[in-house]
Amino acid sequence: MNYIKSFVKGTEDAMPSGAETVGRLCDRVSSSTLLDDRRDAVRALKSLSKKYRVEVGSQALPHLIEVLRSDSNDDEIIAYALETLFNLSTIDVDDEGDMVAQPETILTFIESFIAVTENVILALNMIEKDSFAARWAAVRLLTSLLRGKPNELQQIILIMPMGISRVMDLLAESREVIRNDALLALIELTRGNSNIQKIVAFENGFESIFNIIREEGSSDGGVVVEDCLLLLLHLLKSNTSNQQFFKEGSLIQHLTPFFDIDPESPWSAQKNANFHLMLKVIRTLVSPSNPSNMTSSCQLAMQHCLLLRKLSDLLMATGIPTDILTETINTVSELIRGCNENQQYFASVMAPWDPPRPALVVLLMSMVNAQQPFQLRCAVLYCFQCFLHKNAMGQSQIISTLLPSSLEPQDVSVGQLLCGGLFSVSDSLTNWLAATALSHALRSNNDAKHQLLRVQLATAPGNPPITLIRQITNIVHQTTFLQTRVGLLCLLCGWLTNCPVAVSHFLDNSTTVSFLLSQVAENGTDLEFVMHGVCALLLGICIIDNDGSVSQYTKESLIELIVARVGIERFCDALNCVPQHDIYTKALQKPQPSADEPDHLLLNHTFAKLFKTQEDVIIKTVSNLEDVKKEEEVKAAMKAHDSIVNEYKTLIREQDSKLEAFKGKCNKLEADLTSSASLLSERDAQVQQLKDQYNLLKLTQGTSGDETTAVMTKRIDDLNQQIIAKDNELKSCQQTISELKAQGDVKLSENPSADEKSQKDIISMQQELNRLSITLKEKEEELAKMTNASTSAVVQQADAASDALIAEKVAMQSQLADSKHKLDCAVVEKNQIKEENASLKQKLAEAENQIEELQKTASEHVAKYIESNSVCETIKKEQDDLLILLSDQEEKLSTYKKKLRGLGAEVSSDEGEDEYEGGDLNEEESETNNVNGEGA
Amino acid sequence: MSYAYLFKYIIIGDTGVGKSCLLLQFTDKRFQPVHDLTIGVEFGARMITIDGKQIKLQIWDTAGQESFRSITRSYYRGAAGALLVYDITRRDTFNHLTTWLEDARQHSSSNMVIMLIGNKSDLEARREVKKEEGEAFAREHGLIFMETSAKTAANVEDAFIDTAKEIYEKIQEGVFDINNEANGIKIGPQHSPSSSGGSGGRPRPQADGGGCC
Repeated sequence: MNYIKSFVKGTEDAMPSGAETVGRLCDRVSSSTLLDDRRDAVRALKSLSKKYRVEVGSQALPHLIEVLRSDSNDDEIIAYALETLFNLSTIDVDDEGDMVAQPETILTFIESFIAVTENVILALNMIEKDSFAARWAAVRLLTSLLRGKPNELQQIILIMPMGISRVMDLLAESREVIRNDALLALIELTRGNSNIQKIVAFENGFESIFNIIREEGSSDGGVVVEDCLLLLLHLLKSNTSNQQFFKEGSLIQHLTPFFDIDPESPWSAQKNANFHLMLKVIRTLVSPSNPSNMTSSCQLAMQHCLLLRKLSDLLMATGIPTDILTETINTVSELIRGCNENQQYFASVMAPWDPPRPALVVLLMSMVNAQQPFQLRCAVLYCFQCFLHKNAMGQSQIISTLLPSSLEPQDVSVGQLLCGGLFSVSDSLTNWLAATALSHALRSNNDAKHQLLRVQLATAPGNPPITLIRQITNIVHQTTFLQTRVGLLCLLCGWLTNCPVAVSHFLDNSTTVSFLLSQVAENGTDLEFVMHGVCALLLGICIIDNDGSVSQYTKESLIELIVARVGIERFCDALNCVPQHDIYTKALQKPQPSADEPDHLLLNHTFAKLFKTQEDVIIKTVSNLEDVKKEEEVKAAMKAHDSIVNEYKTLIREQDSKLEAFKGKCNKLEADLTSSASLLSERDAQVQQLKDQYNLLKLTQGTSGDETTAVMTKRIDDLNQQIIAKDNELKSCQQTISELKAQGDVKLSENPSADEKSQKDIISMQQELNRLSITLKEKEEELAKMTNASTSAVVQQADAASDALIAEKVAMQSQLADSKHKLDCAVVEKNQIKEENASLKQKLAEAENQIEELQKTASEHVAKYIESNSVCETIKKEQDDLLILLSDQEEKLSTYKKKLRGLGAEVSSDEGEDEYEGGDLNEEESETNNVNGEGA
Repeated sequence: MSYAYLFKYIIIGDTGVGKSCLLLQFTDKRFQPVHDLTIGVEFGARMITIDGKQIKLQIWDTAGQESFRSITRSYYRGAAGALLVYDITRRDTFNHLTTWLEDARQHSSSNMVIMLIGNKSDLEARREVKKEEGEAFAREHGLIFMETSAKTAANVEDAFIDTAKEIYEKIQEGVFDINNEANGIKIGPQHSPSSSGGSGGRPRPQADGGGCC
């Protein structure tokens, strides 16, 4: 050690031998076989590295690299080597704050170091050393290399396997010094390289950063918190993918606790720095230049995690440093910009005053207060602008505070503040801010523009009220402040654009146009040229949005005036000089109003955009005056022509529409036709089908129904005939019986009861027979009628029109069914009749039996008669007569019997007949006997 | 948006095989027919449910081009699952699988679940790689296999969800060290420590329990 010290001293004594000393040390590092020796040499190089940068840098590099490569087992020598390299690549300041070495020297060294990629890999490998000194030196070396040659180093580390991951691992390092230096390395590593930023995010970088911020005391934390926030800013700035990841990973809510500030704790410079960075982080996420869906989703997320509330509270809190307050206003502005939910929330924020006032009003009070800092006033304007961005409801609410109906004298309203600001005589910036604020309330809102035309102002007592637009015009004429004039002109430009009513109100003032023209014609300073350009634009808007209602200043007459007073060229030059000005380009860049000094605040973003869109249109319109004029002439000539043409056009249009209507109708009708045709054919088919069915039915009816009815009727006829015959037979029987009875009455008295009984029976039989025959006849008639009716109906129906066929068919079928049913009934009835007939026959047989009985009795009588023959000789003659009569009767009876037999009834055989005859005879005899007996 | 677990996925494979389309179909349920080269890495996320548990998938879609290979390598280490994609209509993309797999195995944690995906199954007429070949490759290298179509969405859900199921099972078995975020797994803020260990998992001292949010 002593040797080295003396050696170093010696070199210091002999000034020019610095390079020699370094050379000797390098020799030792490379040639010594003893590790201790090499270590000492490297340590010596380290101590020389600050003083003899050039010498050490130019000679020692390969030897130091060799140490890193071959002596990596000895943490100490590695640490010395790394520290030497760190010293050589770091811009140092000495106690007086002067740079110790030329930056070029350091850059040259870094270039030679990273020229071999392996060197960087070797150095980076050393961050995995457990040794504190080695690891710490490696991290710091990395940072310095990154600061010197960021892009090259980033590329090398990006390509290196696990390069970034290894640096990321250092964030979990328990030795805070190393962790803090790792943060610095990452800040350099992520600067402007989105690929590395994404990998850091992938490696849970956000979570690690939030953990460190929390550990380090959040907003009250030290410089480490600041480093964390700077890294956070690097990871999010202009990196949509990381912003999305940040939002998706619900990391926005981790921002809120940062704003839990202790009101007692002082606002240190560090806290200020932390706050500034944090607000920048928030603004990065909701920047107007981000993709709009990204911004709006972040805005909503920040509202939902109460971040907006925390920031609004901060706005209204006391004791906040002005620069923080200003930046907070700007942050809140971008948090609510174009996001309706957040705008509504902001409108509801009240300042904790007595009485409470809306935060917006309180902020505007600062804006129109000339005592407030310039940047703060600009921030309030930005806030107001963002509050009204895409917020038509907010715009009309602001305008309504200017209208007479809603003026509440006790309450300070936005309208009052703006009006006061517009016409403040002392401070041109106040005028400009108020005018610009008012123009934001009118932007793209024609309703608001119309409403504002209604506003009247009370002037000096005794004077009539004056419209706002007139008053503004007056001030434009009278003011000596350039800023006031430009501000008000810009307000007028915004107001008049796309609003012909406002244009005519504006042109109503006869001095206006000549004033504007005179301004355009004038020469002036740099800034005055800008004002002249704005005047030219206003004139141009008066031409473009002119509806011709002010006869003095129509479109053409205004152009003519420009031509006559200033010339088109001058006019266009005035317009053209605006975009060439820095003020314009700055305003066009971003919505936030900004200027280096208050006087340079002339144009705002909205106006610059308006200028950009209108400029070309105006130049085109104005420079084509001749064309416009000719056009006008032609137009006038054409107008008459046009009207005729228009008439024809309307006529044609009408006819066209009529034609269309007719076509439509025609199409409809055609469609109807086809549909009805198809319906018809369908119907036809149905009819045909039905006809076929009908024919088939008819046929079956003809063959089966008709046949059966015919058979039936025939049978009925037969039966009828039979009945009639039977009737006759019965009648004759009756007659015979009655005759017999009469005979019996005369002759007999011994057996009256039997006679009477038989007579009665016969009578009842006869009656029954009569009744039956009657019913039979009735049925027959009915049947005939029915068959007639059915057939006639069917025929009629068949002849009827085809469209009724379906119903008819149904009816027919039902009728048919009916008639069939009736036929069935008739058959049943016929059967009944048959039965009845059979019963009748039975009864007849009974009657015959009775007759037989009677014959028996008659034979008994005959026997009696034979016995009393002798006694009754006197009545023999009569008896003979009776016999003749009887024989006649017998004949009749036999014929009757024959008939009955023909009908199928069982009648006694010929023998029976004989017997019958004999019986009859006997009967007669008995009767005669009876008579005789009576007589006896 | 609380979740029980968060899994990090990467999607790898040759350029033009449909990695970004798979992601878009999974996260947005739509198909983008125009091939837009991925620069570096793009990010997507979606919530799924497995075994009644909400699981958040954070998916990094990598660029397939060779020039981005070194960048995409940085994503292997922190991923719990990888979808290795080839195009069934381009044999070369299948042939490159070995290289991809070597790369993945070399740079990732050994437990990373890899799902082999034959994409563009809707283009049956232009098929150059048989399904059986994909199955054989997967079997040989111990991967899960599936043929998908980012265009028709066929199997896309299953590909992502089945991978998650596999990871979930590994957690239950205690294979993954869920407290090491470098494995690509994170316990959600709502997840109670008692259930995080899993039934069969090793009981772990949860000194920093809940510090993962």
